[in-house]
Amino acid sequence: MNEIKQIDDHLFNLATVEETLLFEAMLILDPGLPNKVLWQKKVHSLVHQYSRKKLKAEIESVHRKLFDEPAHRSFSQKILNLFY
Amino acid sequence: MSLYKKAFPVVARYVSKMGGSFDEAKDIFQDALVIYYEKSVSEAIVLHANEQAYLLGIAKHLWAKKFKENLHQVSIEAYDDEPKFMEDEGLEPSSIKVLHYLETAGQKCMDLLKAFYYDKLPVNAIARLFGYSGEHSASVQKYKCLEKVRETIKEKSLAYEDFIE
Repeated sequence: MNEIKQIDDHLFNLATVEETLLFEAMLILDPGLPNKVLWQKKVHSLVHQYSRKKLKAEIESVHRKLFDEPAHRSFSQKILNLFY
Repeated sequence: MSLYKKAFPVVARYVSKMGGSFDEAKDIFQDALVIYYEKSVSEAIVLHANEQAYLLGIAKHLWAKKFKENLHQVSIEAYDDEPKFMEDEGLEPSSIKVLHYLETAGQKCMDLLKAFYYDKLPVNAIARLFGYSGEHSASVQKYKCLEKVRETIKEKSLAYEDFIE
């Protein structure tokens, strides 16, 4: 788990100078480490995509509410009138 | 919802003035909201500024970009200020599959990681939200999840790549 944290600190530039030097040495000494770094980058990329997708879904549900529910009729009509 | 109600009319008016359609206004506005959210959590912008004006600014930029590139799909990636290492990650087919897998099988960890890395919530808020006894156990869980997801995507990506090839 410590290693996971070290990789994370490395990826997000949170490590101190000493930690960075140590980590760079480990990258050379431990043949499996570069690959772990690579996969951890992929995790972050996927977390980002996952999160953005969720946020977009939340936004879309607000949109639906505003444009489908009768309670917001005057609002949606005002917007739609801009385009027709 | 109140931000949507307040700001969408402003953006819609602009897009309609520029000859765009309702759907285009909607897409641009929603992308602008995503950008706005991501910027606001990374503290790259000062929130007390006028939200509508800020969103309109992003929308105008997206609109201009849409025509400059002569593409009907505006990418919001250009606005990313995520760490550089994320840039090379396209959505190759195996990525989409892995993402889909994680959305169904790994939701709990993904939601926790989202709270940490995307929403950038404070650790104590995350601990409360996810029912951990304290900040320490929330952090421990974060690293456990990172490791778990890392192993999952490694395994799945390799499996899917084999499948494609």
